[in-house]
Amino acid sequence: MIGFVVRRLLQLVPVLLLASTGIWAMIYAVPGGPIAAIAGDNASPEQIAAATAQFGLDRPVLVQYADWLWNALRGDFGISIRGRAPVLELIGQRLPATLQLAVAATIVSLVIGIPVAIASALRPGSWIDRLLSGWSALALGVPTFWLGILLILLFAVELRWLPSASGYVPFWENPLGALRNLALPALTLGVYVSGILARFLRASLVNELQADYVRTARSKGLPERQIVGVHVLRNALLPFVTIVGLMMANFIGGAVVTEAVFTYPGIGRLLIQAITTRDYPLIQGCIVVILVLYIAINLAVDVLYAYIDPRIDYR
Amino acid sequence: MSRLLRKTGSILARLLSRKGSALALLFLSAVTFAAIFANFLPLDPFGQKLVNALKGPSATNWFGTDELGRDILARVVYGARTSLLTAAGAVAIAALAGVPIGLVAGFFGGWRDAALMRLVDVLLALPAILFAMAMIAVLGRSQAAALIAVGITGIPSFARITRAQVLTLRKRDFVTAVEAFGGSATYNMFRTILPNSWSPIFVQVVVLCSVAILLEAALSFLGVGVPPPTPSWGEMLRTGKSYLHEAPYYAVLPGLVLTLTILSFDVLGRALSDILQGRRDVDVVAKAGEASS
Repeated sequence: MIGFVVRRLLQLVPVLLLASTGIWAMIYAVPGGPIAAIAGDNASPEQIAAATAQFGLDRPVLVQYADWLWNALRGDFGISIRGRAPVLELIGQRLPATLQLAVAATIVSLVIGIPVAIASALRPGSWIDRLLSGWSALALGVPTFWLGILLILLFAVELRWLPSASGYVPFWENPLGALRNLALPALTLGVYVSGILARFLRASLVNELQADYVRTARSKGLPERQIVGVHVLRNALLPFVTIVGLMMANFIGGAVVTEAVFTYPGIGRLLIQAITTRDYPLIQGCIVVILVLYIAINLAVDVLYAYIDPRIDYR
Repeated sequence: MSRLLRKTGSILARLLSRKGSALALLFLSAVTFAAIFANFLPLDPFGQKLVNALKGPSATNWFGTDELGRDILARVVYGARTSLLTAAGAVAIAALAGVPIGLVAGFFGGWRDAALMRLVDVLLALPAILFAMAMIAVLGRSQAAALIAVGITGIPSFARITRAQVLTLRKRDFVTAVEAFGGSATYNMFRTILPNSWSPIFVQVVVLCSVAILLEAALSFLGVGVPPPTPSWGEMLRTGKSYLHEAPYYAVLPGLVLTLTILSFDVLGRALSDILQGRRDVDVVAKAGEASS
């Protein structure tokens, strides 16, 4: 098991290295480079020279890259140009909000997705199956930002039950306030992902229901509830773990749009601000942190999967 | 040529015989028609009339007017042009780069396969929307940048699908026969294997159209897509969101057209996958990785 984890970690090194080199190179390939952003558009040649020297941009490219990589490895992504604070500190402030939303959205998607999948898998081809599969197509096709706007219109503008802009309230400090703020963004993200989860779980349930052990269980007179609830669901949920993990990993960085709809203070919004203000160190930092989290979650899923499914050989 | 026409005709007939895909085809034809011939329609997407600002739907302005008094329906129609053009360009980039990558990787195997597919993995390592945003941060905000960024995020899906197809065909007798007759690798890849791989690639083109339209709209919604005053659906939703209290139709109606377009491409993709490959489900997971959340 430990060997498996170590090997998977080692496989990540080239991907991370290549990706971070790409991120670094992309930004330094900009015409005018980051200096134009740092010094401002109307900077005099002296100011540009000063900024170049201050940020060490007059050194050979390879030295700059090695320096950046070495600092990044130690968690130092430099100082935000606009925010005048260490990049990692800015990201650290936003991380709990993003994680809280990711967890809430995952719960919503499971609460919707699992019952939908079970209901439609038990009677494939029936009207309820067709209705529910239409629903998951809808959940997948409706853009999250439009769904978010519709939810704001209904719950914030018309009914006035929930705030239209969601702030970050830590759940353990004020559970009710946190739920009020999380409800709409978590629903928006959760509905979208429930469409994917339901489709996937339905397919694997239908598959399992045709297995020999189900026929055996039925012929020995086990109640259907027990067959589905205990035996089938357990087997069908195995591949499902991978998808849930993938979705969670996607929430970390991919919730940019939902965060923008609800002006939710997560990493996604920080990244948009960084891009619109051309804050290059912050852009690099955000992307690297998101990438590392994304890969870490995927790795955790792989390991968990190997652990819960004894058929997988992880030597 | 006549064979191709006949085949296209039979696929079209089968699409039209299903209620869902017939409706989708009808809607997409209408949107495409409006986008192409927008200049000939009595619509003006730029004319500002401030006294008319934020007026609800009426006989003269079917979708109402925006904060500058511009006709929202006209902007939706011209926005269709932006969306469809970006999607078409992006899908073309993705296919032109992705298909050859998949062909070479699958055909030769070995180090070429490993190197190319690792590169594709790196592209997949980041959610598409983030990758596109990072590209735009570098290229600057323009329609071309949005098109290129969305296109690059589509490369992995084409590379993977083509590679999988090549792997199933690689050991087939007709491929071996061409090799035995001394056909070059290039000839074999492009003249023997590729013509037999069109079905999954074509399905992917349709599926990716919906992803590209969604991604372009998401970028515009975030304020990094096609720059104003070019009408774009995402940009309209972005501005409309500021007027939810005064003018709810402003964000709702363009969003409805955007959603119907995306859903239509989805329905069409699934129907085509069923007709051409006998599979009902398009690779949901592959799609999920690309769509923006």
